[in-house]
Amino acid sequence: MTSRPTLWMAALVLAAGLSPAPAQEPAPAPQPTIVSPPNAAAAPGAEPLDPSLSPECRVPGSKLYTLAKLRAVKMALKDKRPVRVLAVGSTSAGPGASATYPMKLETALERSLPDVDVVVEARGLQGEIASGAAERLRSMVADVEPDLVIWQVGTHDALARVEIDAFGEALDETVKWIKSHEMDVVLVDPLYTASLADDAYYSSIVRKVQEVAAREGVPLVQRYEAMRYLSGRAEKSEGHMLGRQFRLNDLGLRCMAEHVTRAITLSLLQPDTTGTAGPVLKSDLPAAVRDPNGPQVNPTPDGH
Amino acid sequence: MREPNAIDFWRGLALVTIFINHIPGNTFERYTYSQYGISDAAELFVFLAGWSIGIATRGRDGAPEPRLKSVLRLLSRTIEVYRAQLTVMLMALAMIAGTALILDNPLILEWHNAGTFFADPIQTVVGVVLLSHQLGFFNILPLYVILLGIAPVFVLLARLSRVAALALSAALYFASLVEEWNLPSWPGEGDWFFDPFCWQLLLVLGFVLQDWNRESDTLRIWARRLMPLGIVVVLVGIVLSVLELRPDPLLVPEPRLIFTFDKTYLSPARLIHFLGVLLAFQAVYGLVAPRMGPAVQYLARLGRNSLAVFSMGSVLSLGGQLVRFWTGGGLLVDILVISAGIWALGFTAWFVEWRSRKPRPRE
Repeated sequence: MTSRPTLWMAALVLAAGLSPAPAQEPAPAPQPTIVSPPNAAAAPGAEPLDPSLSPECRVPGSKLYTLAKLRAVKMALKDKRPVRVLAVGSTSAGPGASATYPMKLETALERSLPDVDVVVEARGLQGEIASGAAERLRSMVADVEPDLVIWQVGTHDALARVEIDAFGEALDETVKWIKSHEMDVVLVDPLYTASLADDAYYSSIVRKVQEVAAREGVPLVQRYEAMRYLSGRAEKSEGHMLGRQFRLNDLGLRCMAEHVTRAITLSLLQPDTTGTAGPVLKSDLPAAVRDPNGPQVNPTPDGH
Repeated sequence: MREPNAIDFWRGLALVTIFINHIPGNTFERYTYSQYGISDAAELFVFLAGWSIGIATRGRDGAPEPRLKSVLRLLSRTIEVYRAQLTVMLMALAMIAGTALILDNPLILEWHNAGTFFADPIQTVVGVVLLSHQLGFFNILPLYVILLGIAPVFVLLARLSRVAALALSAALYFASLVEEWNLPSWPGEGDWFFDPFCWQLLLVLGFVLQDWNRESDTLRIWARRLMPLGIVVVLVGIVLSVLELRPDPLLVPEPRLIFTFDKTYLSPARLIHFLGVLLAFQAVYGLVAPRMGPAVQYLARLGRNSLAVFSMGSVLSLGGQLVRFWTGGGLLVDILVISAGIWALGFTAWFVEWRSRKPRPRE
């Protein structure tokens, strides 16, 4: 397991060095040597990458989000008042990033929702959802009174290895509570890293977040799937002194604002009963949006 | 070294409780008293700190020491606690970074607020030194630094009038509760986990009650009489926390912090519950001390050396968290982690006392 990525990287380096001469290799990476992560990009006829994202962050839509309606945000847009967003979780956008995640998020949201004023408040949330943090989140929400809560959830509970069911119940209850106060929620599941790819417990935390998002009908940003996808892409850019996983992590943090924004803008286009049109997007809509049957759930993250 | 007493005993118990509760998800967490009430060990720890200030700033005969000496004593203690916080923070960050490197796992860098440090060390290192950047579970000592820093005001004022000191403290508490005054976190948004403007009330309360208790029997007599009330409060607290009944912060009237069960702002419900706990358990030490000698000795020794034990406890509980994550946890790991930690806390206290007993080597 540990030697595989090294081998694969060596193969890549070789391939890159020799690439002009043997032209018989169409795919960017030699697939058979890869155990984890899977390289979906290489498969011909695969879902196209979402072109609205910046090149390094490009992921096919189905790997990136499941969509659902955002009623409170739509209401704010209709009333032409600023959209208040509470971003909960880590505020970093990666080492040395020129802007923090909340700043990037605000910029990205305002760019894709023209003529809309977005105000992002960001808060770190200490502790586990299963014990105490859910309570603190409620205080935070009461304090900010946002239209939308964007919640990076699961990391601390995963680190504490709390019981899956206790985590799921507390998360479900909290999401219900936010919704009951006519606020929208977008969940962001925890990050992907190779050393946890085969950790059944970690996968079940990620799955639990997906489950709750589907059950409660709230949009989900699949950070885990997106990063797993990104980790499978050939890397032409600079390495990272701490190795691939840390580089991937930086990339995940850098892309998070974009990914979240994409899920929100597409969720706003979900048809609703009143039939009001959402804001116009420049790009074409991926298949996910045209599916009117509410949120779609992707296969479990540990499918290999 | 002083003999075991109730203050050291309870402080020792608070220290062990905080150690166990700072390893979230572990099996023993559900057996600590924090799970069965609205307030928890943090309240006890701060209140007893105030009580101890009362003892420390007077001679054995109860006569107040010179004012300047009290101020310098508190200043010196503030510096000690500040130094402990910096040391502990540095060790915690290194433990998190080291584990992330060894396990090749950047997820660990996201550990309770540590991500900010690793992503933006330039601002965050300043925040660490200013105490405005705190890791999760490492936020009691910054509170304690501020509380000791402002303690001279209350100590000196109480020498003129205890009522005035308590009134000033209560006024600051209520104003902060209504206006939501708190110190800001930086870098990043949000505020301190423990609001010093609110939590100072417990410190001053501890100090003033100690002072009153030393002078007259009135407090003791009334505390005995009100014991049944305390027991009722404790029972209500158990019911509320077991059934997870608490006010919805979006449904309570303004100012909402008066009505919610908020830890950051020490909302009145927590304060009342804590006072109930004090009343209910006031006689317990007297009952336990003769019967559970070794346990009382152990806890009192922790309590006598609370800063060293607390600091080591913080580092050990982080270590425990990392071990649990790495191994996947489970009952066996929890037993090992908790028992090793409890032994190490005892060793820390013993070692500090041994070191201060040991004559210094001649030059």
